[in-house]
Amino acid sequence: MIIRDFGMDTATLAGPLDAKLVAIRRAGFSQVMVSASEVVGHPGGVDAGIRAVRESGLAVTGLETLRDFEGLDGQLHAYKVDVAKSMLQLCHDLGGRLLVVEASTSSHANTGADAIIRDLRTLAMLAIPKGVDIAYKGVSSSRTAGNFASAGEFVLRANCRNLGLAIDAFDILAAKTPLDDLDAIDPEQIFVVQLSDFGWQSIQSIADDKAARTRFRVFPGEGAHSADLAALVGKLDALGYVGTYSLDVHNDDYQQMPPDMVVNRARRAVEWLEETVLRRALPVPNIERLRRTAES
Amino acid sequence: MTHVLEHEAVPEEGSNPLGISGIEFIEFATSKPQALGVLLEKMGFRPIARHRSREVELYRQGSMNIVVNSQPADLPHTVDPTETPVISAFALRVRDAEAAFQRVRDMGAWEIPVRARAMELNIPAIHGAGESLIYLVDRQDEFSIYDIDFRAIPSVETKPPAIGGLHFFGIVQYIGPDRTADWVWFYSQLFGFTPLPDRVRFGIMPKGLLLQSPCRSFFLQLIEPDDNARYAAAQEHLQRIGFGTSDVMATVTLLEKRGIEFLTSEKVQASDRGALTKPSLGSVMFELVHDESGIAARPK
Repeated sequence: MIIRDFGMDTATLAGPLDAKLVAIRRAGFSQVMVSASEVVGHPGGVDAGIRAVRESGLAVTGLETLRDFEGLDGQLHAYKVDVAKSMLQLCHDLGGRLLVVEASTSSHANTGADAIIRDLRTLAMLAIPKGVDIAYKGVSSSRTAGNFASAGEFVLRANCRNLGLAIDAFDILAAKTPLDDLDAIDPEQIFVVQLSDFGWQSIQSIADDKAARTRFRVFPGEGAHSADLAALVGKLDALGYVGTYSLDVHNDDYQQMPPDMVVNRARRAVEWLEETVLRRALPVPNIERLRRTAES
Repeated sequence: MTHVLEHEAVPEEGSNPLGISGIEFIEFATSKPQALGVLLEKMGFRPIARHRSREVELYRQGSMNIVVNSQPADLPHTVDPTETPVISAFALRVRDAEAAFQRVRDMGAWEIPVRARAMELNIPAIHGAGESLIYLVDRQDEFSIYDIDFRAIPSVETKPPAIGGLHFFGIVQYIGPDRTADWVWFYSQLFGFTPLPDRVRFGIMPKGLLLQSPCRSFFLQLIEPDDNARYAAAQEHLQRIGFGTSDVMATVTLLEKRGIEFLTSEKVQASDRGALTKPSLGSVMFELVHDESGIAARPK
């Protein structure tokens, strides 16, 4: 099977970047979401990290994660603009066309809508010469956008072609967000969907949320919310979402397992989704994907 | 083309927030400046001045300035071979360069550090297509930027007339697949350019999308790769300059006498609407476009 619409996330795997890329490719994936820290932290230096990604044969789904960007003033804002430029340049150098930006959790951020929209527009403009799209992601601990609906509101009001949303299935499962909330989102504005589940039935506290989010995620089909996850993917599919599903699974156990074993679980997750939810007998040739591969 | 030019003569203040009034100069970068100089002279430009301290020359004809930059540090890194001249920048005349710079930077333009610029004067520059820059230059009344940075070449005519009334008509920018909307956003938001409807076409190279400058004196033409080139698209870049002239065929004849060759293929050949020179020095081409408005319509 050619796994066209699914990508792996480097952060899901343990080990050096080169070994992760090889494992992802060997498992049949055609694309990878790259964590900036892994490229910058490559033992051979940034250039070697960039080369490893470009020569991996994998298309770059995007680069993650720019954090705490919006709502800052003065020197803090100028500092964050520099950080954003550095990440946009890195994304461009990797051949990527998407930067994932998490809504700010900074207590110094101005949470006024006008300030947030102004900064998102600035960020989108910064990304244009580099050919990068911005995927803004609501996160539960954010003071500016706590979920996709709130992030989607800002994206809508900022109204820039290259500004859209990253939707993380974990957030929807953890917060038990009604799927009908997705009806307010234009599927064209969803730039990437990140998929994971978790093993607990429910999240009781902020500490639970943080632990599950950063340590106990599992692949789709392995967790306690398979039916809800299947319903979410089915809903996105029905809405007309045709972009990438990126498997973004932060799990302490996976960090102690060989990458090949983890990517095999990822593969099973994709097969589960294909068979139970998407029922795609024949993968549709993905022109966009082919193009990105050719460019990178 | 008529309905656009009939539209209105003077743009409103709001539609030209930076007070743009034309292209001050276009810059080429090349490691072989003499070869490019020969070509520019055939096109009617004359070397006017040399930079006081850098490997930079100024060419001029009529209202047009072209800067040839062969400072090694300024040559693009992604062009191969490096001696192929590339359009490395264009300069917009604006009402107040510093204020304009502040405004576009706040909106998300990338500031380019001074050392990477052809000029020593503090001319602000931002990141444009690929490795190219966009300079913002104050409108000049009394003295010009060239008086400070450049030393005139002795005994040359500093204001040589333009052959066939040639003037800057536009710049063609090659962009990546599906990138038109991004670049339209970039130029319209930062500078107040306006996309023109598809039915408005100039010259004989009708592809892509045209953006009109807010001063209505020149155009940017955005061209995505052909379908069969989509998968191996080159880096985005400024590809060629378009010159306006009121009589294309007469100007073609004048330029042919000077040694310029024009393309004559089934698809592209000189006509009253326009003409395209054969590529030389690798990929340098110039386009002629029929344009009655010419110099008379230019501000200043």
